[in-house]
Parts: sequence; structure tokens; C-alpha cells
Amino acid sequence: MSEMTCEQLRELDAELALGILPARERARAVAHLDQCPGCREHIEQLALVGDDLLGLLPGTEPPVGFESRVTALLQPPAPDPAPAPAPAPAARRWLLRPRLLRPRVAAAAAALAVACGFGGWAAGTAIQASAPPPSPTARANAQLLQAALVTGGREVGRVFAHPGARGWVYMSVDLEKPMPEISCVLDHKDGTMTRLGTFSLQDGYGYWVATTDVNATTLAGARLLTPEGSVLASAHFA
Amino acid sequence: MGLPLGRAPDEALLSGLATGDPEIAVAFVRRFQRTVFGVAIAVVGDAQLAEDIAQQTFERAWRHAQVYDSRRGSVRTWLTAIAHHLAIDAVRARRANPVAPEDLDALLDIVTQTPEQHAVAAETSAGVRAAVATLPREQARALVMAGIYGLTAQQIADMEHVPLGTAKTRIRTAMHKLRRTLGAEESLR
Repeated sequence: MSEMTCEQLRELDAELALGILPARERARAVAHLDQCPGCREHIEQLALVGDDLLGLLPGTEPPVGFESRVTALLQPPAPDPAPAPAPAPAARRWLLRPRLLRPRVAAAAAALAVACGFGGWAAGTAIQASAPPPSPTARANAQLLQAALVTGGREVGRVFAHPGARGWVYMSVDLEKPMPEISCVLDHKDGTMTRLGTFSLQDGYGYWVATTDVNATTLAGARLLTPEGSVLASAHFA
Repeated sequence: MGLPLGRAPDEALLSGLATGDPEIAVAFVRRFQRTVFGVAIAVVGDAQLAEDIAQQTFERAWRHAQVYDSRRGSVRTWLTAIAHHLAIDAVRARRANPVAPEDLDALLDIVTQTPEQHAVAAETSAGVRAAVATLPREQARALVMAGIYGLTAQQIADMEHVPLGTAKTRIRTAMHKLRRTLGAEESLR
């Protein structure tokens, strides 16, 4: 397979960016992109045009019942039935809500990161053969910070923080007991803290989103506190 | 105060999907289902197949939420791209002729409607829409066939009864015009 020049690649740029280049030409083009940052950037920019084009498609209401059919699919598999005697109510509810799936990063992230290639999302099929193999954890949602909420050595929830002046913090937590008022604070590496606000846990479970200034370099962790200031759970961002 | 789920940022809902909470899944699907189904039905033209594709799109997003990278585009754009890839694959697997001429004309009219005609046009998409509308008709047709229906240059040449080189030039010229127009708009912001 002969090497493609920059000039040859630019002749095929639109087809490559839109993912419609036949396989043989695509393979040659991708081989060139691996060696040429300039062309890579060029294709990334064109791929954004492809994304914009798809954005023109009108939204359409799906058939009745679609929402419930889809949300039924988006549930984790039920845990294996426990051989032990029936658990206490709180624990039973815990089993029924097997939250906090471990990030399925490894294989899935590698596959999707390659499939999505680079640049605009539309570039996916254009360059899915593009090497080099990405580091899943490095490429996976690189800006998003996340950490386990832990109490007594046990994970009870998870915190996600999206950096930025208009960032946000999302958390889900299951403390297995109703909590009418919980306050959440962010801890910073310089020892200061930011009080985000309060929320409640009905039946012990809840999730919460707050918008706030999030600085990835100074954020150290998060804590959930009782109204009296006792720590219910804490999280440390690596 | 926290935000109600209906007002939570898109990225927060996507992150929340991983927790397996049904309420978050409902909020996520409710927010994006019109977009996802709209892409699928536009490409495949069959409601049952479009629903299958839309379901697969949400399932993939749920399974692979960890690879979403906000630096590369919005959650909506990401979902749109997933739905589009699935729809193109489905059409390629099922049909020899990926698009009926009447469907192409109808879609072309839709994507070139001016903001005045399109009540819900967002500001960003209005610029793209206007740029597509200013393209010569044959270039706009080639662009829609390539960018939305996923047709190769050869397929476009066959459908339009023009040489392969002409089809390639139409696609490329249209893409570069759009890129220049949108780039100029961005530099003015």
C-alpha cells in the first residue's frame, strides 16, 4: 500500500471527515493521519461541519411507550438472589437498587474511543482504524473528576465534578436511612471549603446536582455532613 | 439548593446514568429522545427500525458514558453521532438503494428552512442552516446524501447520473464552503 501525500489526502478530506470513504482509501488516509498532525487537525475541523449538519435534523416524537421501553433497558442486571435469609428492609432496598456500577471503562472505553476517533463525533466511522490505541482512562471523559463516597470503609455513593467556572457537582448516595437534611461541602487542597447546599435523602437514597465553580487543580474532596456537622461520608479526588 | 433533574446539566445526567437510578434514566431519555429518534427516522425512514436504533443509541450511551469527552462536543452531539452511525449501518445492511429521491428532496427542504420558517431553530444551527441554504442545489443534495444518508461518492454519482469526479467535487466544495462560512461566523463572535 503506497503512502498518501498531504495533497492526496486533502483531495479526499470531505469524504474522510464524513465517514464515506471506501475502505481501501480510508486505510491509506488513516495511515497518513497517524503521521501528520496538520492533516489530522484539518480533518477534525471538517468533521465538526459533519456534526453541525446532523444537528439540522428535526427532532421527532418517538412512538408511545418508547420512554418506558428504553428506560427498562437502562437498568443494571438484577443481582444474584442471596442464599441467606431475607434481609432487613433497608438492606433489601439496597439490593433492589444495585447502584454504583463500576465504571466499565477498560474494554468499552477503548472500543468507543477508537470508534469515535478524534475531532467531531461524526468522524467516527471515518477513522476508526486510527492508531495509536488510546489509554482508556486518559481519554475517557478526561475532564470529569469522580470519587467514591465512603463511610466506615464502605462505599455508599459516588461524586462527579465537572471543572470550570460554570462547573457542576453531581452525587448519588445511599445511606440506608432517611436523612431530612444533609449538607454538602467541597474541600480544597489549601484547607478551605465551599458549602454547596443541602438536600435530603428519602428512604436513605438520593442524588443531587449543584452548579458551582470547580477547579480541578485545587479540589481535594467532598463531604456530606449532618446539620450538626458530623461527617456522614467523604470522598477524595485522586 | 440542588437542581431538579429536569434542569441538571446534560453531562450530569449522563454521569448519573451509570448509577443505574431509574429516575435519572427517565430524565435522560426524556431530554434526548426526540433528537435521537429524529436522527434515526430521518435516515432510515421506517418507524419500527428507527425505534430499534434509538433504543440501541441510548443503550450504548448508558454502557459507554465513561468515554464521553465534553471537549469533543456536547452530549446531544455525541448521541446524535451514535444514532447516525447505527442508522447508516442499518440502512447499508438492509437496502440496496439507501435513499428514495422523494425522501431526499423532503429532507433537503427541512435542513435548508430559514430560521423564520423553523420555529425552534437554535442560534448555532441557524447559521449552518443558512449556509446549507445558500449552496447550489446540486451541492446541497450531494452534501445531504453524503453527510446524512452516508452515501459514498460513487453512490451519489450513480443516483445523480454524473461522473464520480463530479460527485466528489460537489461534496468537497460544499463541505469547504460550510467550513469557511461557519469559521467566519465563529471569528466574529
